[in-house]
Order: sequence, then structure tokens, then C-alpha cells
Amino acid sequence: MNLPKQPVQQKVLKYAITSLIVAGSIWSASGLEITLEKILKAPEQIAILVGAMFPLDLSQEAIERILPKVAESLFIAWAGTVIGAIFSFPIAFLAANNVAVNYVSEATKQILNGIRAFPELILAFVFLPITGLGALTGTLAIGIHSIGTLGKLSSEVIEGIDEGPLEAIKSSGGSKINELLFGVVPQVMPTITSYWLYRFEINLRASAVLGVVGAGGVGAELINQLRFRDFPRAGTVLVATVVLVLTVDTISAAIRRRIIKGRSIKIDQ
Amino acid sequence: MIKFENVGVVYPGGVKALENINLEINEGDFVIIVGLSGAGKSTLLRSINNLVKPTSGNVVVDGNQVTNASKKELKKIRSDIGMIFQTFNLVNRSSVLKNVLTGRLSQVSTIRSITGLWPKEDKQIAFDALERVEILEKAYVRGSNLSGGQQQRVGIARALAQKPKVMLADEPVASLDPVTSRVVMSYLKKINQDLGITTIVNLHFLDLAKEFGTRLIGLREGNLVYDGSVDDVSDADFENIYGRSIKSSDLIGEDD
Amino acid sequence: MINLPKKPPPSLMVFLGIPAAFLFSYFCFSKVGFNLSDFRENLQNRYIVTDPLFNPKWSWAIENASEAIIETIQIAILASIVGCFIALPLSFYASQTTNQNKISFFLYKSFLNLVRTIPDLFWAMMFTVAVGLGPFAGVLALVMFSLAIMGKLLSETIDSIDPGPLEAAKSSGASHNQSVFTSALPQVLPNFTAYFLYIFELCIRASVILGLVGAGGVGRIIETQRIFLRFDRISPIIVLILVVVILIEQFSVWLRRRIL
Repeated sequence: MNLPKQPVQQKVLKYAITSLIVAGSIWSASGLEITLEKILKAPEQIAILVGAMFPLDLSQEAIERILPKVAESLFIAWAGTVIGAIFSFPIAFLAANNVAVNYVSEATKQILNGIRAFPELILAFVFLPITGLGALTGTLAIGIHSIGTLGKLSSEVIEGIDEGPLEAIKSSGGSKINELLFGVVPQVMPTITSYWLYRFEINLRASAVLGVVGAGGVGAELINQLRFRDFPRAGTVLVATVVLVLTVDTISAAIRRRIIKGRSIKIDQ
Repeated sequence: MIKFENVGVVYPGGVKALENINLEINEGDFVIIVGLSGAGKSTLLRSINNLVKPTSGNVVVDGNQVTNASKKELKKIRSDIGMIFQTFNLVNRSSVLKNVLTGRLSQVSTIRSITGLWPKEDKQIAFDALERVEILEKAYVRGSNLSGGQQQRVGIARALAQKPKVMLADEPVASLDPVTSRVVMSYLKKINQDLGITTIVNLHFLDLAKEFGTRLIGLREGNLVYDGSVDDVSDADFENIYGRSIKSSDLIGEDD
Repeated sequence: MINLPKKPPPSLMVFLGIPAAFLFSYFCFSKVGFNLSDFRENLQNRYIVTDPLFNPKWSWAIENASEAIIETIQIAILASIVGCFIALPLSFYASQTTNQNKISFFLYKSFLNLVRTIPDLFWAMMFTVAVGLGPFAGVLALVMFSLAIMGKLLSETIDSIDPGPLEAAKSSGASHNQSVFTSALPQVLPNFTAYFLYIFELCIRASVILGLVGAGGVGRIIETQRIFLRFDRISPIIVLILVVVILIEQFSVWLRRRIL
């Protein structure tokens, strides 16, 4: 029997990828001085820390101190998302190449990319000396970063619309504004609102960590409790954050599903 | 070889797919099962290798109880039964050879199959199977780069690689055009004749059934309504199986 | 008079949801202390930041931050590889297509969700306490981070694969693990590769800030300079990081095109 030969390139690609992964890991692990000893010790060390957190500190004093901080993270995330939504919405139209002229859309996209490139935390500590320690700084940082991400996503939604309705409006004598209001906005609104909510979920996690640089929220509380080695209280902070994030995720995901699916209307005969 | 003893299948929700089927299929038979879609053909076929577990009665294959077999026994029984699917069920991103080697999984250790270090003999069996359906030269081509007919031949090769005693084919040509359908059916027929593998095929084209089958089984609403030689079957029998007169869509037709 | 169809009542969502969203927004803005006049006043302090920010000390940054930037990249490489490869088997347990056991499916799924809930920097803080300050804590934090994202994305991809090949393998008498490995894994491997590159990009960005809590990388240098308001030293570091991030993203885009 004349057996076919396995093409060489199939094998080469496989080995190339494998060696890239192995070489990358070894280079990184040795550069970071991660030894087998450290790795083997880690599970026990982590178990000790987790063990020290339980039972949680549920004293009234702890709760009264922690809950407002957790709530503050929620407020920062929502206010930041609102800033992002309000500003990104018109900008997204400027960035969409089927609405704005080419050079405007290109330029706007580059600006959005530029904004997106800065993590919230970096924005936060740049604002810190200007707006001071506290929630406002966090809100601005999250808001500005969200303009970048929401602007990009929303413009992609606008670029993906069905052009048919626009043509229909144009052919019936509608203006450019009519086209946007009655052709584009109804098509993109459900997806864009669901992106706002999705961004809110992400921003909640971001606002939780902003406290690390003093920009408000629950992050400062966690780092302080860990620094003072008050592990049961740190555990309470952690659990409270997890509960908040899970709750918000669940509610927000349900609303997003409902928005995307639309309402089913019963028609009475 | 295969025996159905009072087999019934009721799906969760109460749909009766099969009712009290008694049937015996002999070694080396080439059996064709016809019936409307929803008549229970696919359920009947899948109860032979327990992909569908009968809710009453028993299936016996080659002297082994299938219906109440343990997990381990079931694997052994299944390894002797090859199966061919309407949608081919190839892993599109894997090479033809890898797809055919899946037929050898029950015979090799998990470690070997995961690391891809297949024993030489198993590879040879896979090559032989491909040679039999005349598609050996495509061994290292990706499944997705083949035409439908070629994919189904790979499907046949995969089943053959099991070295099965029984071959089940569930609507093997339903996704193919008339010319390719006949090619695929002839491979099945040839394998049945050359290797003596008991073959059971679900079809809904009556002319193909007559052309290739020796024994014909008719199902209607989960009941056995016809069992006999293909040569004896009349149009009236078909109308009884289908519960209506024969339409042109029941025939695959001639090549044009 | 024709019989007009009845207008459906306004949906509860619109009727209550939109006013509620407005009220909640108002409440949040007042809570975070958003106030335009204060804000205008604050803006007059902007020179503290902007003056040094636009006078970057390039030589200082290159001399002092290069090594830390490489450390940042190494953290991201190692963590994304380890995290994604741990997530690979877990994802098959967290999908109902490949795990019919409802209890273990639920446990794996919940585990992945829980890990995803905790922000990356929280992981980093905890690991610095558990295993000590330094990049090892950072790697562990990003392992959890990439594990959670990969687990979610990949298990959802597995949910939607073609179950046909799995049935084919099962019908030939293959064991469950064999079926999954030969019939499900190849179907999701291209997705795995794409997700991996995406997660690697996320890790590069995330690893920049790990140093703020002492978990290694260039964030360590940013943190010390930040405290002394040396924005003239920070701004070139940020630019350097941006260049690296963009270069890596370009590489990742190129690689994605080649492989997929």
C-alpha cells in the first residue's frame, strides 16, 4: 500500500508553538526567580491566610465601617458608567465610518484608542493631586476610561447596522438627522444600552480596587486591614465585595438579556 | 446476531418512539429500515448500541445483553458496532486520519490517544479502512476540506476502523445528492458483501431501499409494520408503511 | 370607523426602569461629591500635575524602568500561560456538553464564577500577604485572573460545539475522556488560541498596576515616584509602557492571523 506522507508544515507549526510556549515560560520563571520551592510552599501559605480570615469579623463596628465603603464602590462605578455613557454616545457617531466622513471617523477612533490605553488606576493617580483623595477622583478615572471603551464598542455597533431603513428614510425625503434618529438609533439602542450595563459590571470591579491609590471605595479598606494583619476583617471586606459583585452581575445580566430579547407583546384579537 | 425482545422506548415527556418491537437480524444481513421521519427509525438503530436506552424490553447483540449492560460491558459491545451518521459527525478541524483513528479509541490506552502516540498497528488499520473507501490519499487533509460524499466515506472508514461485527447507518445519504448517495450506498453494500459485516441502514428513499437492500423493515409510528424481502415488497406495502400514497419526494430519483 | 388595535401598555422596564436609573444616577453623583463649582476650583491646581507631566525625564525612565518593564512582561507571559492551561481541563467540566454530572458541573461553574468575581488587584494584595512581596505574588494573582476569564469564555464555547463527533466517539466504545479529548478539544482549539492571545494582552495591561500593591513589575517604580509627585518621571514610564503594550498587541494580532 502506498501510504500518503504527513505534510511537514503541520508538524513544524505544532513544534514551533510548543517550543514558544515552553521557552516563554522558562524565560519568565527564571527572570522572576520563581523556584520550585516557592511553588510547593504556596498552597500551604495561601491556606493559612484563608484560614486566618475565618470566622469573619461580623461585629457591628466592622460592618458599620465596611458597608459604606462597599456602597461607595457601587456609587463610583455607576456614576463613572453614566459619565462614560453620556459622552461616548455622541462620540460613537463621530467614530462610525458609515455616519461620519472618513477623516473624522479615523481621527475620533484614534482618540478613543488613546483614552482606552490608560488603565483607570493610572488615570486615578494622575487626577489625585487635582481632585483630591476620595470618590470623585475614582469616578472621573472610571468615567474617562469608559468613554474610550464604550465609544469604541458603540461605534462598532453603529457600523454594523442594516443600511436598508436609512435608504428608506432617505428615499422618502428624510434629512440626515431623521436618518440618525429614526434609522440608526432604534437599531443600535438595545445593544448599546446592554454594553453600558456590561461596562457597569466591569467598572464595579475597577472601582473596588481604586481605593489602593486613595480614590475611594472598598479597596483602601482591604489593603489597610491586610496591612494591620486584621485578617477576619479583611475577610469580611472580601466577602462583602464578592456578594455585591455577584448580585450586580446577576441583576445586570438579567436586564441585558431582557433588553436584547425585547418585550413580547400579546395582541388581543 | 441482533435480537429485539419486546423493546419499547418512551421519551421523557411521554412520547412513545417505539412500541413492543420483536425482531431478529441474522449475521451478514443487509437490512434497510424505512419509515416517515418520526416513525422511530433512528431510535431503533440507537437502541442497538444503547445511545438510546429502551424503557422496556431487551436488545441482545451477538449474545450480549445490551440494555442492562454495565458501563464496561457497554464499551466492549459498542466497540464491535460501527456507526455512520447523517451529518457525518467528523471533527472538521482534525485530519482525516485522526478522525478515522477515533474508531480505534476503545482499543488504545487513554494516554496514547491523548498524546497522539498511536500504535503502528492501529494506524495501519486506519489506513486500510481509508483504502477500502478509496480515499487514502486524503489522509492528512482536514475534514472540513472534503466534499459531503468524501466526508461520509471518511465516516464509513472510521466505523470500519473499529473492525466491527455490526454496522449501523443512520440516514447516511440524507445530506447528499443522488449521485453521491449511490456511491456511498455501494461502499456500504460492498463492505457488507466482502467482509460479511451485518449492516442496518435507515433510509427514507424507497427506490434506494429497493436498489441496495436485501431485507426491508417498515416502521410506522413506532410499530413494526413490514418485515420481508425487498423483492417481495409492493407499492401497497410502502403505502401502508407511510400511511399515505407515494410522492416523488420519497424517491431519490435518477441522476440527471 | 375601523377597529384600531389596542395600544400595549408601556413596559414596566421603561415605566419604572428609566426614572429609577435617573434617580439612582443623581443619588450616586451626589454621593461621590460631584460638584461643578468645586471641580472648577480644583482644576486650578492642575499645574501640580500637568507641568511635570509634560516635562518627561526620559533618561531617568529608561535607566530605571527598563528592567521593571521586562519583569512586567514576564509576569504576564507566565501567568497567562499557566492560567489558561489550568483553565483548559476545568472548562470541559464546566460545560454541560462534556459534563453530564449535574453536581460536578455546578461546582466547577460556581468555582470559576467565584474566582472571576474577585478583582485582580485583590488577588494580588492577598497573595503578597500569603507568599510575600514580589513578582511571584503578581504571577499568582494573574493566574487566577486569566484562569477565570478563560474558564468562562471556553466553557461557553464548549456549550455550543457540535455534539455529533462526541456521539460518534461514544458509539465506538471510547471512554468519556477519550471522546472529549479527540472530539471536543479539536473543535475549540482555535478559540482557545484566540482567547489565550486576548488574555495575554489583558494580562500585560493588568501586570502594570500589580506593583502598586507590591506584587512586582513596573508598578513598583510608579508607586514610589507617585508618592513624591514626580510626574516628570512617571510620564515617560507610562509612554514606554504604552509603546510596549501596543507592540505586543500588534504582535498578537499578527500571530492570530497566522495561526487561525
